[in-house]
Amino acid sequence: MITGNYKTRYQDDESIWNNWAKRWGFALSIVFLVVFPFVADNYMLLLAGQIAIFIIAVAGLNVLVGYTGLMSLGHGAFFAIGAYTAVAIHHEWPGTFPLITLVVSILVAAAFGVLFGLPALRVKGLYLAVATLSANFIVLFFIREHWFEEWTGGVRGTETPNAVFFGVELVSQQAKYFMIAPIMVIMLLFAQNLFRTRFGRALIAIRDKDYSAEIMGISLYSYKLKSFAISAGYCGAAGCLWAYFFPAILPEDFGLNMSITLLVCLVAGGMGRTLGPIFGTMLILLVPEMLKVIVSMVTDGDAMAQRYFSPMRDIVFGLMIIGFLIFEPMGLVNIWDRFWRFLSRWPFAK
Amino acid sequence: MGQFIQYLINGLISGSILALIAIGIVAVFKSTKVVNFAHGHLIMFGAYFYFTFAVMLPEAAFMPSWVAKWEPQWLLDYRGDAMMFSKEAAIATWVSNLPRILLGLVGALAANAVLALLIERLVMRPLLGQSIFAMILSTVGLIWVLEGAAGLIWTAEAEQVPTLGPNFPIRFELFGTNLFLFSASLVNFVIALLLFAGLMLVLRYTRSGIAIRATAEDQSTAYGMGINVPRVFSTAWLIASMTGAIAGAILASRTGLSPAMGLFGLSVLAVVLMGGLDSFLGVLIASMLIGVLEAMAQWKLGGSVAEIVPYVAVLVVILIRPHGFLGQKEIERI
Repeated sequence: MITGNYKTRYQDDESIWNNWAKRWGFALSIVFLVVFPFVADNYMLLLAGQIAIFIIAVAGLNVLVGYTGLMSLGHGAFFAIGAYTAVAIHHEWPGTFPLITLVVSILVAAAFGVLFGLPALRVKGLYLAVATLSANFIVLFFIREHWFEEWTGGVRGTETPNAVFFGVELVSQQAKYFMIAPIMVIMLLFAQNLFRTRFGRALIAIRDKDYSAEIMGISLYSYKLKSFAISAGYCGAAGCLWAYFFPAILPEDFGLNMSITLLVCLVAGGMGRTLGPIFGTMLILLVPEMLKVIVSMVTDGDAMAQRYFSPMRDIVFGLMIIGFLIFEPMGLVNIWDRFWRFLSRWPFAK
Repeated sequence: MGQFIQYLINGLISGSILALIAIGIVAVFKSTKVVNFAHGHLIMFGAYFYFTFAVMLPEAAFMPSWVAKWEPQWLLDYRGDAMMFSKEAAIATWVSNLPRILLGLVGALAANAVLALLIERLVMRPLLGQSIFAMILSTVGLIWVLEGAAGLIWTAEAEQVPTLGPNFPIRFELFGTNLFLFSASLVNFVIALLLFAGLMLVLRYTRSGIAIRATAEDQSTAYGMGINVPRVFSTAWLIASMTGAIAGAILASRTGLSPAMGLFGLSVLAVVLMGGLDSFLGVLIASMLIGVLEAMAQWKLGGSVAEIVPYVAVLVVILIRPHGFLGQKEIERI
């Protein structure tokens, strides 16, 4: 929260960046995003691309979980649908313009989102969580089976195409980064803007109390479905970029692990805030890397220690989830807020 | 027809194990309103503990030799020169394994109980009264912690463990067709159903059972009537972990040990929701139904379809009856 944020016109209050901190923060992060690929090595760019893709997906999940208050344990399925749609399009029409693929992936994932959203009209909370979880398993089952093997490659997975912009194939990590980062920024801005509109406020009303929202004239039926569609569309976009970013995909990539990782990123970052997905994803995806560095420092790259790395990572991951829920349920964004509040009021009050 | 009955029997046997697992989820939910997504991993720990106490420990150097292989003179006489795979040989093997089976069961029960108490005290208690969301996610977090811990402690994969009962094939005839099942499966079936029935009786007639039911009904009133509610929570987790340990031992003897057992718990969660989260009887019906459906799917459509049967079934049931077969209506449908 920024104190001393004085406004004289309604227009100022309604703008997306309604205070100086947001304006400067946005400008600085754009500068960072542009400069980053020129100073980073390939491995860092790989991580950055992965994080950017996850941020898109988590921002989509945030629309559903953070703003509409519906639970989903099945968003890995939308991710998979986006990725396999991109692969299928390139299989049928090689060399499709990447942005067209992206839009089609979003639309297909959104259509599946509506389908998944149907149970949400009848159940909430835990029941919805298990319904979406089931849907995730069922989608992956269809991807693994031989019926669609021509497009999905079945159990063995499939190779994915590279994006081709006007005859230039994006092969290097840096080139892919320059495709992913702008899309991420645009989609985040869209999400941020969504909640200034009637539509977004309606979703927030549904989260806060569904029947009062209905009494105020919000049709739960259509808004819940639309929320599902939008959040699935975001995951579809992330899936499409994932297919462009990595050389191959496997059905297992999009299983329950992916769905839960998305949710954990959201919880760690803070639900119902635009910054939440960004912070949460960076934390959750970077901690294993830091752990890797620490483990190799402690053991001097001992091969025996490598066996312990993956269980250790699992334990740290699980403890982080539980720790956040017990000690900081509002997520990293809350810590960030407290920090700025402290600074802006510093000599006077905490 | 004969094939049908054969698969029906297989289905009922696996259904009884599903029921034994499901009972743990229901017991915890009824008293604490926590839906345990990590129950499958509790079972996995039960299986690994059983493996530790029934296979690893008896082979240790400091254990007396009769623990690993108990062969008194009368047993050798009984076995005599029985054929391999014959009934006598199977029973003799089982008796000579008996010390380590018992050691394994007792060890698994005790170790799993300690584990459950730790989880309840350290993770669940601080989260009491939080939203459903926090509760689901914290048990999901537990999945990772337990999986990682199992990976650190045990490296065994697909290891064989001794079966709980003597294992010989039983062949019999019904409606003019030859049927076939393993006696160990029959023992598992009986153990699972006995445990299920026993727990129902305990809940109905004993003091602590009534305390659990009272807490399930209304927590604050239960407090007011002098019921030690935190202890009820511990009891529920104890029930879950101990039935889980036995289920783990059974599963390990059926399919071998593997870290994939944890994921099995998620399909049981689907079964539980199908039966109704707070109804033991509904869960029993759902387990049997899913067991049979799975067996039928395996017969007609192949093994990979059988894997998603519980998920499809729960989707259908949730859409038609959001509170499951016999669950209490408590979800608003707006």
